[in-house]
Amino acid sequence: MKILLIEDDGENADYVASGLREEGHLVAQVASGAEGFICAMGNGFDLLIVDRMIPGLDGLNLVKSLRAAGHHTPVLFLTALDGVEDRVSGLNAGGDDYLVKPFAFSELVARVAALGRRPRTTAAETRLHLLDLEIDLLSRTVRRRGQLIELQPREYRLLEYLMRHAGHVVTRTMLLEHVWDIHFDPRSNVVETHISRLRSKVDKGFEVELIHTVRGAGYCVRGPA
Amino acid sequence: MSVALPRILRTSSFRLTLLYAGLFGASALILLEVVYWATGFYMSSSLDAAVDSDIAELEDSLRDGGTEALTAEVKERVRQMPHGPVYYLLQDSNGETIVGNLPPFHGGEGRVDLKVPRSDGPSVPVHAHGITLTEREYLMVGVDALPRREMRKLILRVFESSSAITLVLALAGGALMSDGLLRRIETISRTARDIMAGDFSRRIPIRGTGDEFDHLAASLNAMLERNEAAMGSVRQVSDDIAHDLRTPMTRLRQRLELAQRRARSLEEWRRAAEGCISDMDAILETFGALLRIAQIESGMPVHRFAKVDLSELLCTVIEVYQPMAEAKEQRFTADIASRLMVWGDRELLAQMFANIIENAVKHSPAGASIGLMTNRSPSAIAVTVIDSGPGIPVAYRKHVFQRFYRLESSRSTPGSGLGLSLVEAIAALHQVSIELADNSPGLRVRLRFLRLINESLPEIASVKGNWISGARPTQIAMARLGDDAATEGSASRRN
Repeated sequence: MKILLIEDDGENADYVASGLREEGHLVAQVASGAEGFICAMGNGFDLLIVDRMIPGLDGLNLVKSLRAAGHHTPVLFLTALDGVEDRVSGLNAGGDDYLVKPFAFSELVARVAALGRRPRTTAAETRLHLLDLEIDLLSRTVRRRGQLIELQPREYRLLEYLMRHAGHVVTRTMLLEHVWDIHFDPRSNVVETHISRLRSKVDKGFEVELIHTVRGAGYCVRGPA
Repeated sequence: MSVALPRILRTSSFRLTLLYAGLFGASALILLEVVYWATGFYMSSSLDAAVDSDIAELEDSLRDGGTEALTAEVKERVRQMPHGPVYYLLQDSNGETIVGNLPPFHGGEGRVDLKVPRSDGPSVPVHAHGITLTEREYLMVGVDALPRREMRKLILRVFESSSAITLVLALAGGALMSDGLLRRIETISRTARDIMAGDFSRRIPIRGTGDEFDHLAASLNAMLERNEAAMGSVRQVSDDIAHDLRTPMTRLRQRLELAQRRARSLEEWRRAAEGCISDMDAILETFGALLRIAQIESGMPVHRFAKVDLSELLCTVIEVYQPMAEAKEQRFTADIASRLMVWGDRELLAQMFANIIENAVKHSPAGASIGLMTNRSPSAIAVTVIDSGPGIPVAYRKHVFQRFYRLESSRSTPGSGLGLSLVEAIAALHQVSIELADNSPGLRVRLRFLRLINESLPEIASVKGNWISGARPTQIAMARLGDDAATEGSASRRN
């Protein structure tokens, strides 16, 4: 993926950029809002990673300006500001996701992957497939090898989210945010519990396991490697 | 260019006073004019009446006895009153005086004011009326107009003296008033200067008269109170960071040192690094919680509040902690009315309930029962969380909201000691009252939302959840609650 990193803290920028390059992404770095704006407008980046507090045009206004100019590249905000208000204002300005510093690198990688996968158009999908697992988004039903699987509403949302990011790691925090709408760490094993329930319904009795735990990072729905 | 006036002359109250004095003076002047004119008019008409009745009498004698009789009559009257107060003049058709005590007059018919010289003093004002009689004689009768003049003089004198007094009073009053206002304003600015100089506890004195200055002072004091509290909470955070984050930081440092000294293999290094990261995460979490509390306490964006479906929120939070309770084999029951709507920030409210429920699960022993129920009264929506854990002794109840305060009995349980501080901050922001009570055994936390959304909601159907297999909804243990809660609980079900 071609990523533009707009961050003025050199050390942190290098850390993030080198880490993402190791993951196989192409990363360009700029250190000011104005430069960021020009680069973002000019080149075909797949993702912008924007620090909230950068000199010149600050991150929030940079993204507002980009959106006003009709630019729709996904934006991931990085910030040291950890307030409810800050997160909401970031998303309102046109950001797609938000990560508070300091963060676990695996979290950043997962979120970058999730944003990169985001469909460019909002064309409505009605079905999600992975091997013999199929979700009908309209009737909200799940079948594996044609056999109907009964899921609780939360389990369905969990599976849908995992399936929308099939092949990519999603973290526990991402699941809490998108499936439960919980934006703090509840120090509860609710995600683990639901994953194990989902596994028992989706994977149990089938030769190929689809729901995988990625140690130290999160979960991933994919076929056998 | 501007001339430096004495401060008192520049005050608006003084200028106002001057304006009022001017207006008052002008209206007094108009009043005087009216009185002066009306009095003069009245007195002139009474003089006219006196003169005319005399003239009528003389005309009668002229008609009865001819010119001789008239002359005799006038002569007689002049003899009786040579010096007024009634004066006469009778002239023949050539204008020669026949008899009279008025000087000769040739001004024709009509009313006239004359001055009659007197040998024994100043001349006397006389109001007279002259007519021409049938035989071309001219008769004039006048009366002493001194009272009218005196009255006019008196009115003018009264006005002169009273206007001087009015002016003096207006100026003195203005001076006093502006001095009083200035002094109160000076008190306020002195307080402001003291506060700027660092004495943050200073407040503007309130007189207790309930006037505008008291209102202003009360508002300013409330603002100062708020600011001091906000500053206090910021200072508290820095103190807390200094004192309470030092311990985990020290532990982290020791762990790193230990790794440096002892770690031999890559695996040992990896384990050490993992331990350090998790220590660091705990520190960052504490740090974040402190900042968040401070942010909320110093006034969070209430403008961002929206309608929150409390029922849905509670269900989600319970769902999140249910696995934790299950792992401890605790029985978790809930009775949540549907469509309970409150104003607030969903995320903060979720955090508030999460902390309370987490505390209940964490501090209650295995096999304990935990319950959550809601009830709605016209004035409030209450959410009650009960557990059968160790509870909080009465003496410690007011301390548990302090930052980093932990009960001796729970020192061994993991936690930062910030959970309830955050709960309190969020509750205060949402005008939610918190009440800790005994559930004998256990703790009962009651949160009452006092700020309700005023709108008629569709009929409330009670949703009973039951989050552990085998437990029937009817087992929701209302009987364990205090009597009042049980009554309210049943009331809410009736709704």
